[in-house]
This record gives sequence, structure tokens and C-alpha cells, in this order.
Amino acid sequence: MARISLRDVEKRYTSELVLRDCDLDIDDHEFVVLVGPSGSGKTTLLRIIAGLEPLSGGEVYFDDTLVNDVDVGDRDVAMVFQNYGLYPHMSVYENMAFGLKRRGLPKDQIETQVNRTADLLGIEPMLKRRPKQLSGGQRQRVALGRAIVRDPAVFLLDEPLSNLDAHLRVQMRAEILKVHRTVSATAVYVTHDQIEALTMGDRIVVMRDGLIQQVGTPEDLYDNPANRFVAGFIGTPAMGFTRCTVQRTEQGTELTRNGVRIPLPQHRAAAIPPDVDVVDVGLRPERLMLQRQSDDLGTVSGVVQMVEQLGAEYYVYVDVDGDLLTARAPRDQRVHVDDKVRLSTDGAFVHTFDTESGVAYA
Amino acid sequence: MTVTPVTAPPQGLNTSAPARRRRRGKIGRTIAIAVALFFALAPLYWMVSTSLKPGIEATRRDPTMLPNDVTAENYQKLFSENLPFGSFAVNSIVTALAAAVISVLLSALGGYALSRGTFRLREPISYLVLIAQMLPLVVLLGPLYLLLLNAELVNTLPGLVVGYISFAVPFGMWLMKGFFDAVPREVEEAARVDGYPRWQILFRVVLPLTVPGLFTTGTFVFIESWNNLIYPLTLINTIDKQTLPAGLILSFTGQFKTDWGGMMAASVVTTLPLLVAFFAIQRSMVRGLTAGAVAGE
Repeated sequence: MARISLRDVEKRYTSELVLRDCDLDIDDHEFVVLVGPSGSGKTTLLRIIAGLEPLSGGEVYFDDTLVNDVDVGDRDVAMVFQNYGLYPHMSVYENMAFGLKRRGLPKDQIETQVNRTADLLGIEPMLKRRPKQLSGGQRQRVALGRAIVRDPAVFLLDEPLSNLDAHLRVQMRAEILKVHRTVSATAVYVTHDQIEALTMGDRIVVMRDGLIQQVGTPEDLYDNPANRFVAGFIGTPAMGFTRCTVQRTEQGTELTRNGVRIPLPQHRAAAIPPDVDVVDVGLRPERLMLQRQSDDLGTVSGVVQMVEQLGAEYYVYVDVDGDLLTARAPRDQRVHVDDKVRLSTDGAFVHTFDTESGVAYA
Repeated sequence: MTVTPVTAPPQGLNTSAPARRRRRGKIGRTIAIAVALFFALAPLYWMVSTSLKPGIEATRRDPTMLPNDVTAENYQKLFSENLPFGSFAVNSIVTALAAAVISVLLSALGGYALSRGTFRLREPISYLVLIAQMLPLVVLLGPLYLLLLNAELVNTLPGLVVGYISFAVPFGMWLMKGFFDAVPREVEEAARVDGYPRWQILFRVVLPLTVPGLFTTGTFVFIESWNNLIYPLTLINTIDKQTLPAGLILSFTGQFKTDWGGMMAASVVTTLPLLVAFFAIQRSMVRGLTAGAVAGE
């Protein structure tokens, strides 16, 4: 069991800086997800924690011990790789026992531990098979088994579900969480899929271009994104953005655009600095109501670009003067492409961002 | 997803232009293969046929395709006369095997370094090795002779083995590099996470996955060493230490007369082990030479 701390971690490949200023504290037993688009540095950060990648700067601590120069084999970590990384020439049993053998455990103890783990993951009937005789899901289970059989202090997972089909992925998500609860190791999980991050992480670390953008619980990230990137990255469908002018009157503060006015509640208005007159406004689909006709203050009109049928409801993508906003609509509200519709929202649920830096005001 | 429309071939048009072209292509291919086979097999046929002819018939001005008078005397001579054929064979086996085993070991270690090393000069060294492989053997022979002379290894079997290794290892390293490149890095990293040091990862994880490569390299070195003529002719100067190809040349070629029948019989006996070795591993050899071309196996 271990607490992980990263201090000013930096990674440079020749002249390119791929990670910088990474500060992060991961608690004992916590399940933390590193999420971000390709090239954001999340896998590099995971490999630095593992010890597979040397750092160019900064410090990594396990509990209070500096592990910068501790070899990967001595860090008491286990890792599940994207392509499983199973030993092709060994049986499932041998794959799982390989790490235990290195630790010099007696044969009967190895057998007990492998069997117990195989039982936990339902792979007991496959112990004698080679990896190539297994399906993708089974290989994934073996890779998980190989990682947890050693009862490591830190459990690292690098996009472990990306090679599985959608159905199996959902099933394995639950299984990984179950395994994590059983072994109660500190887990760091890398994914580019924000749904995976939201459903699995105790806390989520959003990364972009080698920088940590925000660290928080799934609710935190969803409700209070630190910047426009996090706001757009977390949530499906993505938050829609449009640019508005800030009007301050005696009655209060309003966001306006083409005659449309969205009154802001006091706490939202106070967050916008007095010298800022233009902001980017982010709107979550579930906070936008579709209306055929309305004279409400906060109503904008636009043309439907696309309708996504999800069974119980629709996602309607509306072009509002060149900005694409997404609204969630109930199934009985028939909408078609090219329909003119009105969208309304409540000022309490809008997110405002600096137009240049993208930093959130609220 | 792309959908390719499938049209049914028109019926009753077997002699259409595409069909004719296909047939012509097939005939052309067959002729090309036949010509290649002729060039490959004719010398072998001539070797076997001559080895079965008596001395006079083997040197006739109008050669016979099939021996008029089949005889085994050339083969009997090989094993019964004063010819040290047995010692040639033993020298060949010992030197070729030793060169193969040592070269495989060195090629595996060197190839692994070229494939996975993180040292600064990895790329220049890789190309230097490749350049060394491109030099003709004759060019290397002079410096090699001097080196072996200084090391007092001229006219010794270990010296000859060193000579074979000098031309086998560059090629072997590149061959093995291809095999190592095809081993997924995650497999090695998994072993590192499991706590194994580098050399144990090489011997317990990587080498077992590249066994076809080791066999291919070994067989290649064995065949090249077995067939090599110029090194033993230069580096060995007593007949009792000679290998088969050089020993046979020296034994059957005189100043005024060459015993073609005897030489061909000896050649047949020399070639047989190679043929057996080649057919035994040809599948993995082909796979070995194309390793790295396709990822994800």
C-alpha cells in the first residue's frame, strides 16, 4: 500500500518537453484515472510512476521515500499493459507465477496464490493454456491476474480496455473495480475515454500537452471545470460553447448575444472580473431546453444540424450563428434536421470562461 | 466501411482477354521457374552423374549425360585410399559447428543491443556493422591473416573459426535484430516490472521467443562456413587441418591432371549434410529472413 507524490515532474525527449510541472498526490488505496487526448503525456506519466521511464526533472515519492533512482523491479508496482504484454511462450499459470518466482516464494505458496487469483478472475480453467489460445477478454483477465497475484502496493493500468469491444469493456470496467476493492492497492489508470474515467475514478487527472489541467472527483470536473478544455473534454455529448457580452445593469448582470439575454445569478456574476466584457459561455446539453416557440429572456434560436437518437431521448445539435450547441430532448419532442428551434437555459447553469486563456470564471 | 461491388463473371467467355492474359501469365511463370530450376539443378545433376562415371568417361571430350558405365569406384576411393577424407570431414564439422554456436551467441547479444540499446552511438554502430558485412571476404582476408599471425592462430582450427565468425557475426547481428524488433516491448517491460534484471529478461523471455531466429542464424553460419573455400586455403597450410572444400581441391587437383570423378564423389558426400540441414529448417529460415516485415505476430 502506498501514497504516491509527484513534485514538478518533467520529461524531455531530446529537445521536446512532453511533461512539465506535474504535481500530484495520490492517496493510499485511491483509484486515480489519468485522462486526456493522444499525446497529452498520460502514459508517460504512468511509466514514470512505474519506473519504466527516467525523469528529466522533479521527484517521485512512494510514501515518503524518493524513488527517482529506484529500479522498476524494486518499486513494488504491478502493471497491466495496453497490449497485455503476456509472455507468449509461457502458460497462463507460468505467466502469473513468473513474478512470484523472482521473489523466491516456495512452490506451494506460488501455487496457492496463483489459484486464488485465478479463482477471483474466473480464469482457473485456462491455467494450462498459452496466451495465443485465449480471447481478448481472457487475455485481459490474465494480465490483470498477473498484476494482482503479487499483491503489489501500486497497481498501474495503461489503457487496458482499449483493445476490447464495447460490451466487454463495460463488463471489464466493473471487474477491475471489483479487483481493486479486493486488493486495495493504490491504482493509477490511464485512458483516453472520459466515460471510463468518470465511471471508474475516485479522482480524475485531466491532462493536455504534457500539463495537468485539473484534478478532482468526477462530479467536480463535470460541475466545475477549471478551463474550457476540461469543460469540453469531460461529458458526452460535449459542452457547447458560444461567445457572449457581459452587460452589467442595476438589476444585475446578464450575458447577451444578438438580443438574447441570459441573467446570471449573483455568485456567477461575481466570478467574472469587472474589466471583462466578453466571455465564452459553456452550456451542458442537459441544461438546454428545446422549445418551438418562446419569448423567454434566455432563449436563442438556431437550426437543427443533426439529431442523435438514443432510444429514450434525443441529442439535438443546433447551429446558433455558427456555434454548435447540443441539447437533450425527450423522445416525444419530434425534431428534424433543418428545423428552426429555440433553446433556453437557466443562468445558474452556464459556465463562463476567459476568451483567451480559457480559464473558468466560476 | 467500403463496399466493393461484386459482379458475376459473364458466362461462356472463358477465352476472354483477361482469361487469355491469365493463361499467358501462367505459362510465362512456368517457363521462368523451369529455367531457374535448370540453372540450380544442372550442376547438381552433373556432380552426381560424374561421380558415377569411371575416370576415362568423366574426362571425355564428348561428355555423356548419363554414365555409360555406372561405377562406385570414386566413392570407394574416397573412403579407402590414402585420402584423409575423414579428417577433412571432422575439421569441417568442428569448425563450422563451433563458428555457428559462437556466432549465434555473439549475434544474439549484439543484435539485442542494436535492437533495444539506448546508447548514443547505436545507430552509427548499426550501420558500421552493415558496412562490414558488405565488404568482400577477400578484402578482409589480408588484415585477418595478420591479426591471426600475431595471435599465433594461423594454421589452427580456432584461427579458422575466428575467421568464419568475422564474416558471420555482422549478418547474424542484423538478422537477430529483426527478430528482437518483432518482440513486443511490453513483454520485456512486464518482466522488468516482475523484477527481473536485463540479462535474465534476455535469456528467460526474449531468447525463447526468438528461437527460430537463433536456428536461422546458426544454420546460415554453418552453411557459409561449411562451404567456405578461401579462408581455409589461406589460413590453413597443412593438409591434416584442412576442411572439406579446400582439402578436396588440394587432393584431386594436380599440376597436370584433375580427378573429376573423385572430386565429384567427394562433393556429393560434402553436399548431403547441407541439403539435409537446409530442408530441415527451410520453413523457419524463410520466416527468419522476412522477420520484422510484419508486426504483431
